[in-house]
This record gives sequence, structure tokens and C-alpha cells, in this order.
Amino acid sequence: MSKELILMLHPTFGVLTIIFSVWVFVESLNASDANYARIRGASILVAVLMWLTYIVGGYWYVVFYYGDKAIIKAGPWPFAHSFFMEAKEHVFLMLLLLATFLPIAAYGDVLKKQSTRKLVLWTSALVVLMSLAMEGAGAFISMGVKVALLAKQI
Amino acid sequence: MLRKQAAMGAAENIGASATGFGVAYTITSVLSALLVVLKERSGAIHDGLAAITGHHWVTHGLLNLIVFLVLGLVLSRIGNGMRTTASVLIMSIVGATVLSGLIIVGYYLGAMIQS
Repeated sequence: MSKELILMLHPTFGVLTIIFSVWVFVESLNASDANYARIRGASILVAVLMWLTYIVGGYWYVVFYYGDKAIIKAGPWPFAHSFFMEAKEHVFLMLLLLATFLPIAAYGDVLKKQSTRKLVLWTSALVVLMSLAMEGAGAFISMGVKVALLAKQI
Repeated sequence: MLRKQAAMGAAENIGASATGFGVAYTITSVLSALLVVLKERSGAIHDGLAAITGHHWVTHGLLNLIVFLVLGLVLSRIGNGMRTTASVLIMSIVGATVLSGLIIVGYYLGAMIQS
């Protein structure tokens, strides 16, 4: 598999995680006997997809990123690495644990306990917001490479 | 009626697993953010982490996972004894996420401005 394809899988899994987290949030707002299984199933998918995002992105970061890092640091947007990548790679570690926690919370009594439902709502909302921030940071990193390569050609 | 229900929910206890792993997440996320600052400011800690797995970030992630799982399992066992209400647990999780995020983002922002 080419390294470019590996890199594209990272945000793809990330976006799918956001979609499934929104799904968990909306289903939990209307929790009932009818959607109880879907809340649990979708919450497991959030955790699995977040782990796939981590493994694919982490592999690419550890094995291939050094080349892009050198390009970014030599270009007009060095902050794409020194701020966005550095912050992203460390905030992501928290996000991974939060996504892992989501099914643990969702396997509580979401139907009868208002408290468990609120916990699932807050956790899924945090996963969505943090994942969107990760996608945004990823866009800055990609743009950091692009502007550096464009600057080289001029 | 809805307000009364919401207030009741906030005072309710949450299950042992959710409480245990929720508190474990709270502690782990803050420790992880502090480790970011420590390893960036200390070459010895950075190199020590890198020596364990070959990359500081991989070791950092592994340490987070171990702390989260061990704390989560231990605290789940005593989860019912912790008597944490939903409001306290949710505030802890949101607060720890915001605090840890601010520590990490603030550190790299400060380092970027200084350089």
C-alpha cells in the first residue's frame, strides 16, 4: 500500500468517527427500547474507528512524516508543524481514550438512568468537537506542505 | 417536569465501570498533558521515552493506555464506593479535557511565539 493511501485513510477513519459519534449523540437524545442496541453498537464503532485512525495515522507519523516535517519547517508555514502537528499528536492521545470510554459509558443503563444518558451525550459531543479540531489541524499540516512546495517552485 | 427530571439525573449515581473509567480518563488526560510539557522541556525525559519504544510519542501513548486501563479497572472495582454523581463526573471529564487541551495548546503556542 502506498504511503499516500495510508495517509488518506487517517482522515477518512476520522470523519467516519465523527459521523458515528453524531449518531450516538442523536440516538441518545431519543433513547428508547427501539434504539438501545443501536446506541451501543454505534458507540463501539466510534471506539474501533478511532483506534484505526490512531494506528494508521500513528504508523504514517512515525515512519513517513520526517520528510514532510523537513519540508514544512523549511517553508513559509513552519507553524504547521511546530504548533498544529505538535498539538494535534498530543491532544489526539486524549481523544483516543475518550472514544474508548464512550462504549463503556453507553453500556450503562441509558434508558432508565438520566445520568448515564447525560454522560453519553457529553462524551459523544466532546469526541465530535475534538475530532473536528483534529481534522482542522490536519488541514493546516497539509497546507503547510503545499505552501512549502509551491514556494520552492517560485 | 423536565427540569425536575434533569435535576434528578444529575444527582444519580452512575455505574461502577463508567465511574471508574471516567475518573481514570480525567486523571490520565491531565497527566498526559503534563508529560507533554515535561518531555518538551527535558531532553533526558524525551530521550528516555524515545529509548523505550523507539519514538517518544509511541511510548507516551502506551503509558497513557496503561495508566487509563489500570486506573479504570482498579477504580471500577471500588466504583460503587466512590459515590460520584453524574454532574461531578461530567464536570470532571469536560474540565479535564479543557484543562489538558489548554496546557498542550498553550505550551506549543508559547514555544512558537518565543522562537
